[in-house]
Amino acid sequence: MEWQEIKRKGEGNIMFFVATGIVLLNVAIYLMMSAVYKRFRIPVLIPALTATVIIVGILVYFHIPYDTYMIGGQWINKLLGPAVVSLAYPLYKQRNVLVQNLPAILGGTVVGLLIGMSSGLLLAAGLGFSKLYVLSILPKSITTPVAIQISSSLGGDSSLTSVFVMIAGFTGAIGGPWIMKLFRIRSEVGIGIGLGTASHALGTAKALEYGEKSVSMSSVAMTVCAIVGSCIGPLVVWMIYP
Amino acid sequence: MKIIRIIVQVILLYLFYFVGDYLQKLLHLPVSGSIVGLLLLFALLLLRVIPLKWIEDGATTILAYLPLFFIPATAGIVNHMDIFSGRGLLLILILIVSSVLTMVAAAHSSHWLSSLNNKRRVGWSGKRLSEKGKEI
Repeated sequence: MEWQEIKRKGEGNIMFFVATGIVLLNVAIYLMMSAVYKRFRIPVLIPALTATVIIVGILVYFHIPYDTYMIGGQWINKLLGPAVVSLAYPLYKQRNVLVQNLPAILGGTVVGLLIGMSSGLLLAAGLGFSKLYVLSILPKSITTPVAIQISSSLGGDSSLTSVFVMIAGFTGAIGGPWIMKLFRIRSEVGIGIGLGTASHALGTAKALEYGEKSVSMSSVAMTVCAIVGSCIGPLVVWMIYP
Repeated sequence: MKIIRIIVQVILLYLFYFVGDYLQKLLHLPVSGSIVGLLLLFALLLLRVIPLKWIEDGATTILAYLPLFFIPATAGIVNHMDIFSGRGLLLILILIVSSVLTMVAAAHSSHWLSSLNNKRRVGWSGKRLSEKGKEI
């Protein structure tokens, strides 16, 4: 009996060290990659991408199962809830932008989300992808912490969604200027809300190049998009899979 | 001590998350608990029930490190590596097409709505971008 207890405690301790080690390694890789990003400022070097690639590389190279990694990873995951709550802060700081442009911001995000969600869903389902992929595509234009919650609550896969969100972000951050030219998007309001609705934080970073008004529009649109998207996401799914 | 203030404020943000989660389960809301928490905090900030100072340092710190918090969830892609080959590449094309549609729809509808709004207010429609804003 006693031996069992000691053994169990020992295992608990080992788990604790493993978890702490994984968390520290994660934080170190993230800090390193965000220093690299600050140095070069190229969209494809965002730490969310580079740090993930390094961690996936480590898991594959050392044959570490994802579940083992999540012994530590789950502790970092737990901060996603308060991180989403924190988005109230920038929204409050920019409440004047929101109030003064309410029809444009609300209308733009709702129309953008409806078109974006239904087109993604219909294209993926139409080309024969399984329901898991279709549902994971749905919240692609929404900021990652919120998108992965929407995805998993609807039956999608959070890691697929997270990667899809990045691809949607890069579409706006890299392709944005061409899209603006091709589709004659010229007003700062349109550019900002377009980038924020389609490409979340990556789009907002791109909006910096179009002036202050575009940035504030984009960042407000991004947060409003997360809230509105959480509400209409289930509705769009229900329309396609009644 | 700034670090203690940050920790206390993060705990307060957690509290909002837990209350949001509780309300979501209690009322069977279709949105996630964290979004309910966000709306709750936003409302209390607007009503000045909670002063900005109570959450400012905690929220800015969390948001400054935001990408760190979703790296573990994203790393789960290790179990879905097939999306980067074969038919998976089709998904990337779908994402790009759908994102372009999202951007164009959001941009044009918001521009149209804001020009309606401006006409009503000052009788002048949407502002054009200055040349210098284009190249930086």
